[in-house]
Amino acid sequence: MSNPFSYIFSCLFVLLAHSTMLFNVYFNGSYTDEHQVFVIAAAVIGLDIVYFFLMLFFRQHTYNVDFMLILILNMSNIFQSCFGAVEFDHRHYITSLAALLASRVGYHVCRNHKWIQKQKVFIWIGIGLLAAVIFAFTGSRSMWITFEKFSIQPSEFMKILLILACATSITEQQNKHTVLGFSIVWENVILFFIAAGICLLQWWCRDLGSIPTFMAIYAAGFLLRICYPKAKFSRKTLFIAAGAVLLAGLVALHFAPDYVRARVFVNIWDDTEGDGFQQSRALIAIAEGGWFGKGPGKGALSGVFAHDSDIVFASVCEEWGLLFALMSVLMILILLSAPLFNPPRSYYHGTMAAGVCAAFTAQMALNIFGSCNLIPFTGVTIPFISTGGSSMAASGFMAGMLIAAQSPEFHKPGKKKTTKSKPGSSTKTAAGRSAKTASKSGTRSKTKKKPASSGRRAAV
Amino acid sequence: MKSIRRCQRIITLFILAFIAGMGVLVWKINKESPFYMMHSDNHQLGMVYDRTGGVLFDGIGKGKYEDNYFVDIGNLIGDDKGQMENTLVARNIDKLNNYSFSEGLIREGGQAAIYTTLDHYANRAVYNIFGYTEGCVCAYNYKTGELLVCVSLPSIDVTKGYDNIGELKEGTLISKNMYGTVPGSTQKVSTVISALEIMGRDKLFSKSYACNGKYINSSGKEIVCHNAYGHGVQGIQQGIENSCNPFFAQLIEDPDLPLSKITEKYRKLGYAVNDDEMKYIDIDGIQCERASTTLVDSGDFNTEWACIGQGETLVSPIQLMMWQSAIANGTGKMTMPHLIDHCTNTYGDLTSYSKTTYSEQLFSETTAATMKEMLITNGNNHYGGITSSPLAIKSGTAQVKEGAEENSLLVGFVDDDRHPIAFCVLMENKFGTALTAEQILKTLLDSLSS
Repeated sequence: MSNPFSYIFSCLFVLLAHSTMLFNVYFNGSYTDEHQVFVIAAAVIGLDIVYFFLMLFFRQHTYNVDFMLILILNMSNIFQSCFGAVEFDHRHYITSLAALLASRVGYHVCRNHKWIQKQKVFIWIGIGLLAAVIFAFTGSRSMWITFEKFSIQPSEFMKILLILACATSITEQQNKHTVLGFSIVWENVILFFIAAGICLLQWWCRDLGSIPTFMAIYAAGFLLRICYPKAKFSRKTLFIAAGAVLLAGLVALHFAPDYVRARVFVNIWDDTEGDGFQQSRALIAIAEGGWFGKGPGKGALSGVFAHDSDIVFASVCEEWGLLFALMSVLMILILLSAPLFNPPRSYYHGTMAAGVCAAFTAQMALNIFGSCNLIPFTGVTIPFISTGGSSMAASGFMAGMLIAAQSPEFHKPGKKKTTKSKPGSSTKTAAGRSAKTASKSGTRSKTKKKPASSGRRAAV
Repeated sequence: MKSIRRCQRIITLFILAFIAGMGVLVWKINKESPFYMMHSDNHQLGMVYDRTGGVLFDGIGKGKYEDNYFVDIGNLIGDDKGQMENTLVARNIDKLNNYSFSEGLIREGGQAAIYTTLDHYANRAVYNIFGYTEGCVCAYNYKTGELLVCVSLPSIDVTKGYDNIGELKEGTLISKNMYGTVPGSTQKVSTVISALEIMGRDKLFSKSYACNGKYINSSGKEIVCHNAYGHGVQGIQQGIENSCNPFFAQLIEDPDLPLSKITEKYRKLGYAVNDDEMKYIDIDGIQCERASTTLVDSGDFNTEWACIGQGETLVSPIQLMMWQSAIANGTGKMTMPHLIDHCTNTYGDLTSYSKTTYSEQLFSETTAATMKEMLITNGNNHYGGITSSPLAIKSGTAQVKEGAEENSLLVGFVDDDRHPIAFCVLMENKFGTALTAEQILKTLLDSLSS
């Protein structure tokens, strides 16, 4: 850590935020057993401190995503432990730990663009295998694979693979081939069919809520693709693409099954006991909560199905108030905007960060706007806030991608020594190789000049 | 560098799009949350008051009231249970919403309220005079449009609940003032107005027809008079004072009064004639049925019967009262009644207040003056003891239940600027009670003047 003050103040900020929430639970919450509040407090503050300690061993450029991640995850733990009544939600706590672990895995897997680009074929194979698993095990009316005591939603992991597929193929944009007079990049064609195939698969297994998320990820990849590397945004291409998406949406709506059309066109207030049940209860809960909420554990929405996942925003609003719910969403947005403050170091990392941002914002929009009747209700999760192991693990991995985007690894530690041992061979230096690599992968010129500094400087 | 900026722009684009959506969502929630709250089991309604500050509905439920305290206005004010839809509370429930999003459910002592124009004392007095008799009475200030009395029997005290809906008498949960009833001879006011508009005063007053107790019309059907001995030869003033059916049957058949023009004038007055679309008069959200009738041919029995006020003609007491205002004002324009004087929100801030409004001109000022003169003459000649002020009045007897029962009606107004009251009294089954419509009217006017 090059700046211990920044580290300490960030730790204090997170602890203060969680302590304030816990005090609110203690003084305003609804509980019969005071012991439960102390259990939650011990679990949350304990995890904070342990993670702060572990962070000392992380070797990254920046730690802002890590701080935001632990802040959000433990906020989520407090939320989930209060819905309906204050009682420690150990299940969500375990999935939070899984998310933290997944973020480390995501960071280590994605930080080295050279390595991951070599695994591109395995990513494609992974997508194929996951698609086969979905096809074989979820069935045409479900999105879950159920084991004895728990379920897995495989489409959550498909998001990671699609982001990686978009990011790893970005460097191939200059490999154009002329076919029948058209200039074609084969990887773009492959990626298009991958995205289309995933969407069709999701349609088949009725996980319609995930389709816009996959489309958003692909859209981010597509937008970065059409302006790579020095090309200008082509308005014509953009308009054609937007028109195609609109047309596809209208066609999909036309051929959508009755239950989908019912969801899209339902007037929830005319059907408060049927298709509009969850949304109407969610909006009533938000209204009852007002700006400042009823108080932790005092919500009535906990009796409604999926109160802790699909309509979790309303549950938070009811107990903590719209203001606090908006602050929670803001925390996630700050986490997503980390690449704006600490720019990604290469086009691969930038594409990956954009893909994660697209996935998270699409999911949040679908969940929040859907449950509040602004758009059709689909039933997806808010990253880190909603309960669910698959969602938490996948979101954690994607947070790790964000960390990797800001703390990339361009060289293995041993290579620097090699270059020093051969000072005379100027064209074979690490800097020279880095420059070549950077040129190919679209990295910034700054990293070419200081290749050795791109690994260990810590800033929050 | 440029490439990285593009990545950042894409990220910014997604985040800004989401923030814009959140902005719309917050605006929508802030605006619509009172509506959401109305669907909540925890919503709290405010109060409804009469013109003197007396409680007519207690949405907070903390007040203590005498037994049957709300029964006189029960089926007009209603409640939020959903059984009585065409009532003040049901139609204005948003105005009574004691809720503010900024404070959510935690707010206590909300001051959301509707201040009505009703006079609870007068309503109570009128309700009591009915006793076991059923019917309805409405009265309003024809200068300002303030609805003062709107009683309908049988009624219910909503604070007692009404789980036994199946056992309640027919019409308990509605205000009969708002629904069409056979107007009886009060319909002749509309017919005379139409005749005055078509023929003019001089020609109508020059007409005279004989009545010998019954009249065989041009299609061979018999129109009977309530006076079996007949009224002899009468002009229009005698015809209306005697409420003579043969006189009006002959007037309808008169070639100077073509049915097409009568139909036109009826429509102008607001009738849905034959297959016209049925419309409603809106009184602060409460729907009041408009008049309807069937007119086919001048010599047709049913057509004549409809113009006399029987058969298929239906008029709501409120509309009968409103026509009187057009005569009383002397303008031919109805004063539109309103029930809400002003409203306050949960913080006690004034949110809306009423204004006096008028209908389009239904008939000429000359017709209004002539009609006023005729009705006041009728009042002076036949209803002198009811009030000291000049009283314009027209009575009616409506045959209902296929002639098995008769209802008594009185419509009119007090021609006094200090007490500008237009009214309609409907007493059902007049043979089943010793009460008279005149007694009810006297009670009404006395209680309002006090």
